[in-house]
Amino acid sequence: MDTIIQSILAIAPAFTAYYLTALGHGFFEKSGVLNLAIDGVFYLSVAVAYASAVYMGNPYIAILISALTASIFGILLAFIVTKLPISHGAAGLSLMFLSYGLGALIGNPAVFRFREIKMTNIEFSINIPRTPLTNVALFMVSIVACLALLYILKGTKLGAAIRASGEDPHAASALGIDVLKIRLLAGAIGYALIGIGAAIFELVWLPTWQQMHGMGHGWIAFAISLSSGRHPVLTMLTSTAFATLLTYQYLLQAAYNLSPEIAKMTPFIAAIAAMTIFMVTPLRRKLSPPLSLGKIFFKEERTL
Amino acid sequence: MRVTVVRRVKPLPLGNVLIPSLSIIIGVLLASLVLYLLMNIPPSQFFTYVGEGFVSLETLRDFILLTILGTALIISFKGAVWNIGAEGQIAMGMLAAAYIALFTNLSSSPVLGKIMMVVLALILGGAWGLIAGILKAYLSIDEVASTLIMNYVAYYILNYLVRGPWKGKHTYGYIRTDLIPESVYFSTLPIRGITITYEEILLLVITLVFAYVLLYKTALGVRIRILGSNPEALKAAGVNVKLLTITLLTISGAISGMVGAAQLAGYLHRISYPIETHTPYLGYTAILVAWLSMLDLRAVPIIAFIIGSLNQAGRLLQIAGVGGIAVTYLFIGTILVTFTILRVFSEYRIKLIRG
Amino acid sequence: MNNIVLKVKNLTKRFPGVTALDNVSFELRYGEIHGLLGENGAGKSTLVKILYGIYTPDSGEIFIDGRKVVITSPIDALKHGLALISQNPQLIDKLTIAENLMLGLTRLGLMTPIRRIYGKLKELSEELGIEVDPNIEVWKLSYTQKQLVEILKALLLGAKVLMIDEATTFLPSNEKRRFYEFLRKFTLEGGSVILITHKIREALEVSDRITVLRLGKVVGTVRPNEVSIDEVRMMMFGERIKEISYYTEEQIKASVRDKVVLEVRDLWVLGDHGTYAVRGVSFNIHRGEILGIAGIAGNGQNELAQSIMGLRKVVRGRIVIDGHDVTNKDTVKVRELGVGYIPDSPLKHGIAPDGSIEDNIAMLPCIAKGIVRWSYVRSLAKKLISEYDIVTPSTKTPMKLLSGGNIMKVLVSRELSIAKKLLVAYNPTRALDEATAVKVRKMIKRKALEEGTAVLLISEDLDEVLQLSDYVAVMNSGKIVSLIPKERIVREEVEKLMVVK
Repeated sequence: MDTIIQSILAIAPAFTAYYLTALGHGFFEKSGVLNLAIDGVFYLSVAVAYASAVYMGNPYIAILISALTASIFGILLAFIVTKLPISHGAAGLSLMFLSYGLGALIGNPAVFRFREIKMTNIEFSINIPRTPLTNVALFMVSIVACLALLYILKGTKLGAAIRASGEDPHAASALGIDVLKIRLLAGAIGYALIGIGAAIFELVWLPTWQQMHGMGHGWIAFAISLSSGRHPVLTMLTSTAFATLLTYQYLLQAAYNLSPEIAKMTPFIAAIAAMTIFMVTPLRRKLSPPLSLGKIFFKEERTL
Repeated sequence: MRVTVVRRVKPLPLGNVLIPSLSIIIGVLLASLVLYLLMNIPPSQFFTYVGEGFVSLETLRDFILLTILGTALIISFKGAVWNIGAEGQIAMGMLAAAYIALFTNLSSSPVLGKIMMVVLALILGGAWGLIAGILKAYLSIDEVASTLIMNYVAYYILNYLVRGPWKGKHTYGYIRTDLIPESVYFSTLPIRGITITYEEILLLVITLVFAYVLLYKTALGVRIRILGSNPEALKAAGVNVKLLTITLLTISGAISGMVGAAQLAGYLHRISYPIETHTPYLGYTAILVAWLSMLDLRAVPIIAFIIGSLNQAGRLLQIAGVGGIAVTYLFIGTILVTFTILRVFSEYRIKLIRG
Repeated sequence: MNNIVLKVKNLTKRFPGVTALDNVSFELRYGEIHGLLGENGAGKSTLVKILYGIYTPDSGEIFIDGRKVVITSPIDALKHGLALISQNPQLIDKLTIAENLMLGLTRLGLMTPIRRIYGKLKELSEELGIEVDPNIEVWKLSYTQKQLVEILKALLLGAKVLMIDEATTFLPSNEKRRFYEFLRKFTLEGGSVILITHKIREALEVSDRITVLRLGKVVGTVRPNEVSIDEVRMMMFGERIKEISYYTEEQIKASVRDKVVLEVRDLWVLGDHGTYAVRGVSFNIHRGEILGIAGIAGNGQNELAQSIMGLRKVVRGRIVIDGHDVTNKDTVKVRELGVGYIPDSPLKHGIAPDGSIEDNIAMLPCIAKGIVRWSYVRSLAKKLISEYDIVTPSTKTPMKLLSGGNIMKVLVSRELSIAKKLLVAYNPTRALDEATAVKVRKMIKRKALEEGTAVLLISEDLDEVLQLSDYVAVMNSGKIVSLIPKERIVREEVEKLMVVK
């Protein structure tokens, strides 16, 4: 019994990392902004988390800094695509590339500093140790985040406003919503979660750093969110599935000859399958993307 | 006083030249600023590398491949179909070429081998685009998300093959395939230091001619351009828009696949693991090239050359210890962010309203 | 001045090519239902859209309760107590009723639980006499229910003036009655209503006063008990324009009308709001014959044209072109049969703004297949340009740089030249100057008489319909209420059929 619990708890770091990222991403996209910057900012946040932990010596502050950095990018993206008639895809991809570059430039020097510190202080580590306690804490954090966002989305005016902005920003505007303000909020909150997820990824699950570290994992969270219809509870299920797969990939590889590439591919195949299923079944109503996702929101005076 | 954005009645004069140029200049300046702030690289040093990039012979490789890719993407972008999946299509093309080269007898014949490599690459790359096209046409699944995801699927397929069934026998501990037979190597130009091949130049010419004829001489080309302007009008005129979308992604994917074959046969000569770190992210840079060209075929070679030079500058910086691909990403990022924002001004202008 | 809640003085609004409102002055009293009547393009919608902050006037003033106000957005308008209810409910489908309504309550903070307004909603809906479950998602509601929610929203936001813009057009008659009952109750409690409609009888029955607009100007304000339907009709439509003859009697007799080219049988087509826009329409058009459909826009004409062209789904009925059943077939098939189409909104469905004239011609499969013969396309373009006096720097200029009128000319001339068996024309001379309009009408008539093209002419310009058609059908509320051969047409009767319900 004990080992079963231990095995379940062991997926906590991977699970929390992907779940919080996917949760934040879905929350933001619900406001109508196509979030293609996710992998870039995830990667950047991973680097920022690493660097902050190295320079500050404290992983918990690092989580905060990572969340703040990500939040800024979220606000930036929300602002650009709502205030100006700019293609969401273009804006998102631009920020993605920029973040890839910044992330590498922040991470690389930190590696040197890390080695420097290690030479004098062999005990120095940046990671949060993986104990059953931390695993439980991570699960708790995830559950709290889920409940909080669920409440906001379904039970408060903010949630209604966010979903309205995603379905039909023009109607939302006519109904009295300041779409810009709402999207800025959604961006700040959503990306803060992404930043925390990235920090967990780096500081708890895979506490190393080299130049490509974390690249592509933002897309895994993207795919997870997509496959779950951006629903906070369903996202938990999908995250659990993939976290299990990836945490135990070496075990599974040995036991069933499952190559890690196949493991990493599954979220993406699942996303495509899920998108297909959503489009052709009645699930469409509940789990399909927000109607105006990615549409340029621009008010022009209409002529007769 | 309110600041509003209003659509222009007449487009910005020379906007097509001004905006990309400004974007590149400002982008590079911003990149040098970041490098100075984060890595303490003095701008003078940065610009020296940039300058070197422009005159470096190795830049020509990026130039040729980016021109081909940029053209392939423009064909798709002109129809407002956003093929972000060039990376994956290149990978599938590489897979196809590797298969012919390593596992069939065709590789013994230079001419037939190379042709088959290219043909199969066209087919697999095209198939990769076709899938995304079908998803978009019949299920309204956004092609940006699907092509992006398929990039990763393609990477993983290739990585799996390279680590597993295709692992080389003579690899000295590295995870990679064997070298492809020399008979199907593309032939490098006989100038010292140059890495481009005759075959690639041929493919470039064929692609440019094909794109020009397709877009400006065929009915299909007219429809592609109208699709990008007003798909509703096209539907009302009696054109099958679904089929058109699928065709676009297939063509775009096929040409990208072909580039994968060229990269394998002309330069890499083997596939190494993990594939993401060994392809110079041509697929994403090509998006930058296509956008910066403002979808004008004539601008593609120019922009491709500039971006290729910047790429090379990034590689040179790596040799100086800064992490080359990071610099590439950085300036792609700064240029693209600047461009995305400046682009607004070609169609809109800022109006100040009193009260 | 105490009993005037809303006053509009010398309001003018121009759009490129047309003056929508010309020095309009208008007063609304407390507690009154004020009908606003007019033909298409009279300016009624523009007036209320200005009051709701969607448009800004070029000149003029607005006074509420005697105070001058400037309304810059719907949120502004709502703050002043003005609410607009249009034909298209502005509700978000995936959200519940309560969520939709909550969005407008700016006093409440963002973290306010939705539950907070359940009580108030219940109260208001009881007053309205309807049962509303605040937790239902809007997509599950019927069109009528959605309109009721719109009213609920206006009440919740404290509106004292309800502007109803043709919102009752699609309501079934028993629900319409309830709607009007509620409006009456609303005014008895001090609210005011501006009711826009083109249905004269309805307006006369319900309103306290009626103002008629024509071509952007106020024709007059009257009380229902002081006017007859015919007098109101006169105010709406004005004097008859002199008839222009497009053909000779011999030409008519000579043209052969044997074969049926377009057969429409018991057609039912859904509109955008879940209600039927076309309700059991049937007619035939023979070779060389022009069937004109008269009617105020929004009575199903657009949906009819779209369904014939394969652009909108047919729920019941048949469409047969030249013997081929094209019901619910792709537009491709319809076009292949030699059908030309001048659509309702040319910029949206007719031409591509970034393409040149040449591109817009070459995009048609009947003109270009495989390799494009640009010399042929160019000569065709040049022919059209000279024949219709299209003003453009060259055949390669992007269409978006041309004026609205010229864009229309390109579209119309293109379709006229490719239509062989059938031409479906919706407002073919809108945005055209008089000279070109005459030319286009002559061309349409010529095509019918000389080439034997069958023409379905749908136009909001009644004169045009009457002058060109061999048969005139009047479309009202999705049905063809009358089909009259040319010889038996009495203009006043047609006008009446268009607006009486």
